[in-house]
Amino acid sequence: MRKQLNTVGLALFAVLAFLAVLPLFHIIIDVYTKGISAIVELGGLSFLFDIPPTPYDNKGGVGPLLVGTLYMTFLGAVLGVLLGFPLGVYIGEFRKEFFANFSRGGVNILVEFPTITVGLFVYALFSISLVDINPMLEGISNALASVAGGWVKHFIGGLSQFNAYAGALALAIIMIPYVALFTASAYASIEQNTREAAYAIAGREYRAVFIVLRKAVSRAVLAAVLLGTAKIAGETAPLLFTAFGNVYYAPFTEATGAIPLWIWYAAQTPYEVQIASAYGAAAVLLTIVLAIFFAARLRQ
Amino acid sequence: MFGLVLLFSVVVYLLSIFLLMAIKFKWGMRLAGSISLVVISGMMIVFLYEAWPALEQYGFGLLTTAGWDPPREEYGLLPAIIGTLITSAVAIAIAVPLAISIAVTINEMLPRSLRTIFASLVDLIAAMPTVIFGLWGLFVLGPALADFINTAVGEYVAAPLSLLTASILLAIMITPYAAAVIREGYALVPKVVEEAIYSVGATKLEAVFIKLKYVKNYIFGGLFLALGRAMGETVAVAMVIGGNYSRLPQSLLESGITLSSLIALQFPNAAAYAYMIPVLFTAALMVAVLGLVINGVAIYILYKTQI
Amino acid sequence: MIDIRGLRLWFGNLQVLNGVELKIPKNTVFAMMGPSGSGKSTILRVINRLIELYPEAKVEGEVYLDGNDIFKMDVVELRRRVQMVFQIPNPIPNLSIFENVALGPKLNKLVKSKAELFQLVKESLEKAQLWDEVKDRLKTPAGKLSGGQQQRLCIARALAFNPEVVLMDEPTANLDPENTAKVEELIVDMKKERTVVVVTHYPPQAARISDYVAFLYKGTIVESGAVREVFTNPRHELTEKYVTGKVY
Repeated sequence: MRKQLNTVGLALFAVLAFLAVLPLFHIIIDVYTKGISAIVELGGLSFLFDIPPTPYDNKGGVGPLLVGTLYMTFLGAVLGVLLGFPLGVYIGEFRKEFFANFSRGGVNILVEFPTITVGLFVYALFSISLVDINPMLEGISNALASVAGGWVKHFIGGLSQFNAYAGALALAIIMIPYVALFTASAYASIEQNTREAAYAIAGREYRAVFIVLRKAVSRAVLAAVLLGTAKIAGETAPLLFTAFGNVYYAPFTEATGAIPLWIWYAAQTPYEVQIASAYGAAAVLLTIVLAIFFAARLRQ
Repeated sequence: MFGLVLLFSVVVYLLSIFLLMAIKFKWGMRLAGSISLVVISGMMIVFLYEAWPALEQYGFGLLTTAGWDPPREEYGLLPAIIGTLITSAVAIAIAVPLAISIAVTINEMLPRSLRTIFASLVDLIAAMPTVIFGLWGLFVLGPALADFINTAVGEYVAAPLSLLTASILLAIMITPYAAAVIREGYALVPKVVEEAIYSVGATKLEAVFIKLKYVKNYIFGGLFLALGRAMGETVAVAMVIGGNYSRLPQSLLESGITLSSLIALQFPNAAAYAYMIPVLFTAALMVAVLGLVINGVAIYILYKTQI
Repeated sequence: MIDIRGLRLWFGNLQVLNGVELKIPKNTVFAMMGPSGSGKSTILRVINRLIELYPEAKVEGEVYLDGNDIFKMDVVELRRRVQMVFQIPNPIPNLSIFENVALGPKLNKLVKSKAELFQLVKESLEKAQLWDEVKDRLKTPAGKLSGGQQQRLCIARALAFNPEVVLMDEPTANLDPENTAKVEELIVDMKKERTVVVVTHYPPQAARISDYVAFLYKGTIVESGAVREVFTNPRHELTEKYVTGKVY
């Protein structure tokens, strides 16, 4: 009786665990089967370059969205690492400090914070400050354009309420705690004698911490950066009110498209061709995310 | 004017982090360490500032009434609050047993070589873009669920887009977060305690339950973390919940709304009305406060356990 | 009676036991001594098959308990008959004092009623000389007890099964002299009803409490026999050095 209960109970655990990951397979298969046939139908390779279809088109793609996603993800990741890394070093390397506990608590909360609030936060910051900042930015843009050429205006200029930089900032805020937590645990796991050696040979403290010890944890930190990048590449909620979305190739100072935003928008339209393009876009996005995820896994 | 002050203070803050690192290293690090706190408190202040007109206009009643009539500037967040509570409660009820099963299966049943593979799969669920979950929920899970229920009952009772669809989708999405925490705790059960459990003649199943009791703080911690995720999740929920803004939901099978999906779905046309943006910022303030409190509890439980 | 034949054991590639042959008579105190790393604790963990919790361990050889092959026995049943007390006192720290003793009998349905269970717990705690110290706080978590009390709680937990064999893995290694004396007294007391196998790396302790001893060195039995024989007239040079304190 007890033996049977044992077998049945353990089997139940295994079945439930299997059940929990089953949707993952179904989602991946669903996205790729519908997505690839949609891509073929909507233009094959040119799917990666074309603008998204209107309800009356039968061809289209994710060109501007892919550009927007790559640009904002790249900027967000860079800024996220720039701020997240020292933050992680602080809570990992100086974890015995009293203030480090607060800092760690803050990071732990921020990493779990609803991402939509980050988007709204950045939206509010921009809507408050743009009036004052834009004249400055326009001045810079004109000056640079006269030296380097008109292409500068594609990147720098007076910003609209919705623009790629707001999107990148929102993504960076999401990236910061990811990088920080992984960096912190990597630094915390450095052995004491390695640490002493680093301080002994480096001289200045910042060199010991950022240069010598970084070599000891670089693999873990790189994996963290990749995982964080995979995460922000697929984020939608923080972009809703910052990048907003755009179906044309537009300057990054204007509303900018992103693949997740298009999936969100197109899936909710009643038009077959747009729903198909949403699946195609999902296949592209999933490929990007899976590629980064496995690259990170292989490095761990 | 305000914008310049803001820009100036951000620039000064960032510059002084890097300057201080060169001069007074520890203070530079401390300033860097405060980034997360600055962001969180900045968020709270900004939300309160943006929500203020609505709070002034409608007062506390905004949170306790139902209704959504923008042309008349009548708003009530009660349906969204209730929708948030219902969906996250159901999601948690499904997710926690699944998460525990994942922890047990990985630690007790799988051979070493399969453990990492299975664990990676679970982590991959957490890394998947949420909008793809939304897409799947909208076109696969929702219709399948409604079909299943309607055939089983024999009449049309369930809509494809409903609180139930949102809850189940949420459960799938938050399970890995809870599983990660429980797994970590489960692996920390000391060998001597494990030996004690087996030497009192426990079967493997009984040992599993005793160990789960031993790591119950991790289970609660994971539960709260997952709850935080469930309450804040936006796009996937917004795609499958049906968007019923004004009426209190009568059953799980109806369409509904949550705080964050309300923001996502209503923001695009909010600028046309006088008070909708402040109302939506009130919702955001609530989401942020909930996120702060629930994750705070989770982190408190886990900190306390680890020390 | 425990009969160990040709027992060999590896942890990964490391051979820990190298053909152990041992006969442990019924209702005696049998001491196994030897330097650390000689495989004493490992033998205990084979006898109640706790070794199976270490996935990297590979076992060869035969062990019989009263003529029955333990590897063919139901493992839960075996662990009920063969109880173990560990080097580090290991009550389950979040369970109460009462529950720690009651858990085994409850899981294995050794009692029929709550009153009977209470009686059993009480008797076990009395036999372990712990009852008087804890009778007013049976609901406190076991982790709150002192080390010596925890160890006696573990003994009570073992005795609650009325086991045929009690395996003790350096039960006094982490205790103060007073608690050590109490535990040694308990061991001698126990052999009236059961076989006690005790591992120690302190020869005087073996001499004080045991009837038979075995001396292990690098995974083989160097010498075994009646305690007086081995201590006063060792046949092997290594044994002599060890019991006189020249080898650790």
